[in-house]
Amino acid sequence: MTLISRRQTLFLGGAAALPLAGLGEAFGQGAGDPVRKIILYSDTQGAVPQSFQAAQLIAQAWRQLGLDVEVRPTARQQLSQVVWYERERWDATMWRMVGRPERSDPDELVFNLFHSSTAPRGFNFVGYKSPEYDRIAEQQRQAVDIEARKKLIREAQAIVSRDAPYAFLIHPKTLQAFNQQIWDAGSIVIQKGVGIRNFWTFVGAAPKGAQRTMIINSGTQLQAIHPLYIAGAPDSWVNELVWDRLVRVGPDGLPRPWAAESFTFVNDRTVDVTIRDGMTFHDGRPVTVDDVIFSFEAPMRTDKVPMFKPVVSDIEAIERTGERGLLFNLKQVNSAFATTALGRVFIAPKHVWEPHLKSVEGKPENIESIRDSANVGSGPFRQVRARLNEEIVLERFDKHWAAPKMDRLVVRIIPNAEAVIGMLRSGELNLLAEYGGDPEVLEALAKEVPAIKITQETDIGMEFLGFNNRRPPFSDPAFRAALSAAIDRDVLVQAAWNGFAVPSTSHVSPALPFWYAADLKPPASGVPAAREMLKSAGFTILGNRLHYPAGVKEALKPGD
Amino acid sequence: MAFVGRRLLHSIFVLWAVATILFLMFRLMPGNPLAAYISEALSAEQQNLIMQQFGLDRPLWEQYVIYFGNLVQGELGTSFHRREPVLSIVLSVLPNTIILTFCGLFIAYAFGILAGAYLAWHRGTWIEGVVVPIALATRAAPEFWLGMILLAVFAFWLGWFPSGGANSAGAMYAGELDRIFSRDFLLHLTLPALTIALYLQGLPLLLMRSTMIEAMHEEFVTMARMKGLSEWRIVIHHAARNSLLPVLTAFALAIGPNISANVVVETVFSWPGLGRLLVQAVSTSDYPLAQGAFFLIALVVIVMNLVADLLYGFLDPRVSHGR
Repeated sequence: MTLISRRQTLFLGGAAALPLAGLGEAFGQGAGDPVRKIILYSDTQGAVPQSFQAAQLIAQAWRQLGLDVEVRPTARQQLSQVVWYERERWDATMWRMVGRPERSDPDELVFNLFHSSTAPRGFNFVGYKSPEYDRIAEQQRQAVDIEARKKLIREAQAIVSRDAPYAFLIHPKTLQAFNQQIWDAGSIVIQKGVGIRNFWTFVGAAPKGAQRTMIINSGTQLQAIHPLYIAGAPDSWVNELVWDRLVRVGPDGLPRPWAAESFTFVNDRTVDVTIRDGMTFHDGRPVTVDDVIFSFEAPMRTDKVPMFKPVVSDIEAIERTGERGLLFNLKQVNSAFATTALGRVFIAPKHVWEPHLKSVEGKPENIESIRDSANVGSGPFRQVRARLNEEIVLERFDKHWAAPKMDRLVVRIIPNAEAVIGMLRSGELNLLAEYGGDPEVLEALAKEVPAIKITQETDIGMEFLGFNNRRPPFSDPAFRAALSAAIDRDVLVQAAWNGFAVPSTSHVSPALPFWYAADLKPPASGVPAAREMLKSAGFTILGNRLHYPAGVKEALKPGD
Repeated sequence: MAFVGRRLLHSIFVLWAVATILFLMFRLMPGNPLAAYISEALSAEQQNLIMQQFGLDRPLWEQYVIYFGNLVQGELGTSFHRREPVLSIVLSVLPNTIILTFCGLFIAYAFGILAGAYLAWHRGTWIEGVVVPIALATRAAPEFWLGMILLAVFAFWLGWFPSGGANSAGAMYAGELDRIFSRDFLLHLTLPALTIALYLQGLPLLLMRSTMIEAMHEEFVTMARMKGLSEWRIVIHHAARNSLLPVLTAFALAIGPNISANVVVETVFSWPGLGRLLVQAVSTSDYPLAQGAFFLIALVVIVMNLVADLLYGFLDPRVSHGR
């Protein structure tokens, strides 16, 4: 039997004491409570497989930081209920902002997403509050000089990239296609941030042969075709064709006069507009200044047009200055006015919609409850037949000054994403307006059938992960930044979006090259860098669990 | 007569119970119909206005009374999202759904009856050994898979039929009847109806076969043989006719569930019908539309049940309903 020498005892004792010393060190530094289990909401796999997949990958990355994460796939209805109506109650959620031509001016996203005024009930559902950001968001709206405004927009992007109210993930690439044997490829317009399914394509597409009807698809049915209500995405495509606007967003993303012959800023707060001569409605009546004023004043002066009320909120008054002239007097400077107001309101025929508006006065209903079967407008297409769950048939309005080249446009409701491939091939569709299926299948079709041409366009919209900035640990910007850094966006692009996306750094998309801050890079990325950032913020990882900084208690339970 | 009266009362009671359950079910479901309206346009006041508009601000019992009062008058309410009367929305898709369901069912049952009779006649042959497993397999296969296979083969590959919708894009007709009887409609109807038929034929086939096998052992069949009647006459006029009764009852009972169950076929073939409308209504919490559509389907099921009950007693004099 060997006697353990004193030296060995000291050595063994010392070795045994090391882990205890480690603990002692931790207590000495004072790590706070372990961070509770984080619940990350996502869409269901069936509804939005990309978002679901991305959430799984993100959760994996966060677990390496010592966080216990549960991904909770939730149906859209329930997800909206929690995220929007129960703003105190969630930790983190996957979400998206859809790209639309009106968002070609960054004002809408820059202001509405992060200004503190929209935190209680509006689009700032993450509850981000920064006086610095508020100031920039307000200033950019009032900057009439475009270079000054560009600097402010750039600063807004830098602030959110630093503060990480969201973990910005990706901007998707819209995949579309058309039959180039039927449509002259040179006449199909790619609109920045939107793709080929846009107003300019519908008006300008030139048929090459006998087929003079464009047939496009929509995956979801329409709810309403209406000049004072936009009920959904495919609904907006049709509204834009049946009713005209004073100004339209061009393929370059900039506003251009349309039903207005010209619009000029007389001064910072006054816009002089002259409407085009000789415009008529589909029923033959002329389009007058009164129709235009009615279309703006209906949301301004009443509560019956809720969709457009925020759009016209900056207008103080509209004066008629002549047979074709009107003057907009604004309450304050709004540099995006041309796109966000003149480029959004549809010119509704007063002789049709004024009686409708009167009919809902004094009742709880609003104008959205009214359905007009004739849908008279002054746009380049007139409605022939609308079966909202089946197909919409529009035909060229010959008297329009920019009458389309095609004879008819048909929107078919096709909920089966795979069937559209076969339909493109057989000619039952000749322009693929939206595609939710496997990109590789579409690519295979294009290879096999030379008539099919695919187009790709980086979207104005984005996919992101919203942190609930109201509650710890997400109230700590350093914590948010670290969690955002841990996400490998390149992996997300490849694994979740099949390569059809670009990583995102802020809420302004590369699809808007004038406004996009291309030089902005997140400070660091990867799990090791994220760990360092957490450490600098005072967090510690003990035994594979992430702990709050010293002295901080976990105040919430998972699911609170 | 008393029997008919009793069954009628019974059916009305079931209808009332269904209506009440429907009412409660949607309101107790998680999710707020307003969640489908999210837009920066809705301020607190506007949200309240919408709640008022839909009567959602009133106490539950008040909503129930209004709902029931309307129901009894045939007023199914107004869709939250489409803002149109539910009845008109449902009626607009009903022809498509009814035609699809009935065509599918007729083909399934006609084929099932004939094939079942044939199989019973040829009991114990290799044909039976092949056909019965196939019938079981088609019944077990998921409907959407059957649909996708038919779509892939006959529409995409062979190009014999269109890939979706009820009519060609932009096709114009003088009226509903013109549309329904057009060649275009028939072409579009073929594949979805075949899918339903393929899926459903297993039941009548096997039912007919087993009922006929029993019937072939009955004394009246032996009697007919002794009389020297031809095999054909025995099978068709005697055995098959008697075996039809359970199958016809099954047919009557199949109509109700199949009207709404076609949502899968409707999605695969982009067929504009009631099933898709229902799914959309439920997922957007469009209470009136979902309730109205469900109620109409329940009405059809209950009526067909009643018809089946009465029909059986009528067709088979041996069946008594107790006195």
